Amino acid sequence: MSAIAFARRGGSKLALLAGLWLALVVGLVIAAPAILQPFMATTVLQFSTILALVSLGQTMVVLGGGAGIDLSLGGNVSLTSVLAMALVRAGGPAALLPLFCIGIGALLGGVNGFLVTRIRLLPLIATLATLFIYGGLAVALTGGLSISGVPPWLTPLGRGSVSGVPIHFLVIALPTFALGALILTQTAWGRWIYAMGHNERSARLVGVDVDGVRLTLYAVSGLLAGLAALVSLAWFGSARPNIGQNLELDSLAAILLGGVSISGGAGGVGGVLAAVLLIETLKTGLQFVNINSIWQVGIVGALLIVVLLADHLPNRRTS
Amino acid sequence: MSTSSTSDLARAVKRGFRSVIGGRELTLLAACLGAAVIFTLLSRNFLTVANLTVVARNCVELLLVGLGMTLVITMGGIDISLGMTVGIAAIAIGNLLTAGFDPLLAAIAGPLVGGALGLVTASVIVLGRIPAIVGTLGLLGVYRAAIYLMLGGQWISGLSPELGQLLNGRIAWIFPVNFAVIAGAYAAAFLMLRRMPFGLHLLAIGAAEEKARLSGVKVRRTRFLAYVMSGFLAGLAASFYVGTYRNVEMTIGGTLVLDAVAASVLGGTSILGGRASLSGTILGVVLIRLLQNGFTLIGVPSLWQSVVTGILLILVLSLENVDLLRGSRTREIAV
Amino acid sequence: MLTLKRKTTIASIVAIIALSTVARAADKPRVAFVPEIIGIPYFNSMEAGGKKAAQAFGVDFIYTGPVDGNPVDQLQIVQNLVNQGVQAISVAVLDASALAPVIEQAKAKGLKMYTSDSDAPDSGRIVFVAQATDDGLASTLLDELVKRVGPDAKIGFVTGDATATNLNTWIKLIQQRAAEKYPKVALLAPQFAGSSSDRAAQLASDLMVANPDLKGLIAVASSTCPGVGQAIETAGKIGQVIGTGYCSPNTGKSYIKSGAFGFTVLWDPGALGYLDVWAGKQLIDGKPFAASNVVPGMDKPVAYDSAKKILLLGDPTVFTKENVDKFNF
Repeated sequence: MSAIAFARRGGSKLALLAGLWLALVVGLVIAAPAILQPFMATTVLQFSTILALVSLGQTMVVLGGGAGIDLSLGGNVSLTSVLAMALVRAGGPAALLPLFCIGIGALLGGVNGFLVTRIRLLPLIATLATLFIYGGLAVALTGGLSISGVPPWLTPLGRGSVSGVPIHFLVIALPTFALGALILTQTAWGRWIYAMGHNERSARLVGVDVDGVRLTLYAVSGLLAGLAALVSLAWFGSARPNIGQNLELDSLAAILLGGVSISGGAGGVGGVLAAVLLIETLKTGLQFVNINSIWQVGIVGALLIVVLLADHLPNRRTS
Repeated sequence: MSTSSTSDLARAVKRGFRSVIGGRELTLLAACLGAAVIFTLLSRNFLTVANLTVVARNCVELLLVGLGMTLVITMGGIDISLGMTVGIAAIAIGNLLTAGFDPLLAAIAGPLVGGALGLVTASVIVLGRIPAIVGTLGLLGVYRAAIYLMLGGQWISGLSPELGQLLNGRIAWIFPVNFAVIAGAYAAAFLMLRRMPFGLHLLAIGAAEEKARLSGVKVRRTRFLAYVMSGFLAGLAASFYVGTYRNVEMTIGGTLVLDAVAASVLGGTSILGGRASLSGTILGVVLIRLLQNGFTLIGVPSLWQSVVTGILLILVLSLENVDLLRGSRTREIAV
Repeated sequence: MLTLKRKTTIASIVAIIALSTVARAADKPRVAFVPEIIGIPYFNSMEAGGKKAAQAFGVDFIYTGPVDGNPVDQLQIVQNLVNQGVQAISVAVLDASALAPVIEQAKAKGLKMYTSDSDAPDSGRIVFVAQATDDGLASTLLDELVKRVGPDAKIGFVTGDATATNLNTWIKLIQQRAAEKYPKVALLAPQFAGSSSDRAAQLASDLMVANPDLKGLIAVASSTCPGVGQAIETAGKIGQVIGTGYCSPNTGKSYIKSGAFGFTVLWDPGALGYLDVWAGKQLIDGKPFAASNVVPGMDKPVAYDSAKKILLLGDPTVFTKENVDKFNF
């Protein structure tokens, strides 16, 4: 597949998402003119970061092919926030909390990578199992209670904003997406990832260390989940054992809406970010006009089907 | 009897047994028995008729949804909206019962509604040419919203016990209805996979879709039917659910999907398709429910039970992979 | 590309039509209530009560909540209410830390944030509109149960989500009261059923099998009531095991009548919803709460604890075979 063809596909998806977003905003403004206030944008961004980070991780894993998917992301975020806080409460230096989050997240992701590349479990099953384990551990270890005591210097990260843009979006979400885009489009790594996703056999034949890259991708996905856990800690001021609930399915919906092909090898992070923003705008907008939140669940589902119908992905999973 | 004919007999039995149950199923059977032994030793209430009846009763819905999921996975697809299908069918059944219709009618309505929803799922995935995981993810959201709207945010509570008496009762005073229905469903599936062209097509599509199409298999029709069948089974599970629990709430069917996938895969059905193990699915379901029951009996907190399911999944699958890496084993259907 | 553009246009037209049917009157003051989760009868009753009060007191009532017990979802809804400038926002918090991120912002905008049904005492909320004191709820349930099963019985708990603060508080208080008043009662560790009937039934059955001498079963979350009742009936243990819980009379009715449940304890969630909106109106008007308040439309005056800032609906009600038919919620 030529780079031009790929870009074209990515571009048209981006255009579709932008068009939908515009239509949504116009509709909302007509329904409730009061919505056109700067803090609305702040709210959308505030709630986008966690989903965006997790979706970026999901993107990496899916792009790499091999029926790649990460169902354990929600459990990872929950368990990482719980373990990181537990470490601090047990006497670990509070200054290292961000490092704990990143480290634990990457470790949990690495376990997925190990199961997929060394034990050769299929990603759907491996990450389903780790979803059970991570999510279950988070709740079982805490008995459902939250662990408070996040150091106050983290609070501005979670709740502060600069000219209306939440700090965690500015300082964590945007840079990681920029880095991700850079890696995917400018580096050899990026080429390997797309190659693996597009045709694994050929990639191996030309010498790409498919297993090594794939292991790294799962670890990176876990690392991003760890970052999301850090943001949630800063935001809520405590570790909530069910903070990651539903993130795996939501992130899947986001990346698919964003143009990433489920079989790998196609799609870009720009589309994913756009999809995340669309979903959060939809959620926020509907809630602003007090439409029942269940509609948002249904609309995103319907949107997923409609967008893919319009798109007729030529990649279908062949064994 | 002379020793030579006994050993002949033994060999014949072993051969027959092997053809019915392969390596993975044996592992699961061993796991079930092992767990049963441990639980019996640790809790004197485990090995009682009352308890085992409870475990068997708890397997009903998962056995049916698991069968549907196995068929879909065998074909190379997946349906993560199946739990919502159970929910919508349950609402239909609940409404019929509340309106005073005959429980038998309500019971039949379940699978019919389920089959109809399977038709919708099939249309989206097969006609819409959307990958199964994507399409069913989208339908999951749509169905969830539909369930809320249909229930109007309420529950359907306090349903009359007649449906339960019908479905959990006995045929001719001896044969439990639920057992008969499940056995019938699995037997039909087994025959279909082993004998009927449709079943072979199902396996072929899962194994190598393009080759199957080139050999003349009506791929679209087969895939269509597979989703309708799994919807039908999910609706049947709904009939049993409503009959047993007499309550229809918004969260119905929530955990069934993941458990069904876990049970199918534990049982030996490959997530890539082309390989099915019905006895494996049954054993997978039994193992999951057995562990849940046993843990409560021996005092393992319920919060840890999902962790155990996850570890189990990894262990069993890793064992086989370690095995596979050592030697090769070809096995198409093991039932 | 044409197809895409056409689809985008259709989508936008549909969106605009759908959303412009939402009318908004911006004149009356607005009071909102955010439940822990939508779609269960308990909170539906609170909504009904709130609507009644809104009509009586001339406010607009907003009822909106998360579709699952996800704290992030609840926070998002509360944040949006703050953004909308809703003057009084009451929340049945999923977790004590749920309000922390927004409470400062609400105060800065002059919006009154308070809790109802489930509290976050240290969050800075202005008042907690309580159905009954947590102590009252715990002791009423335990006392009534011990009355029926005896002071040396074994009792089990089937509760909902491990992350629900109010449920955990009631369990803890029941355990404390048992330790003080009924030392011979054996309370088993709580089992968590999430929000599904079948899991609750499964756990209840397993508990009864694991403990053949079990005499009492408490369904702590209203979502576990049908499952526990059903399990007792299916096991044929009516009379041997007394079930109970914080169940609405409608949900518990068939089990109370069959004998699976000896009684249930609850308050009137409709009255709580009503009181909740009244409280919101009082806060908006800047009227302080007296030690005892007469609320138009309610028969009994409502007490206010100024130290803990709790507005108390009253004592919990015990529903039994005798009175369960008189109620419809």
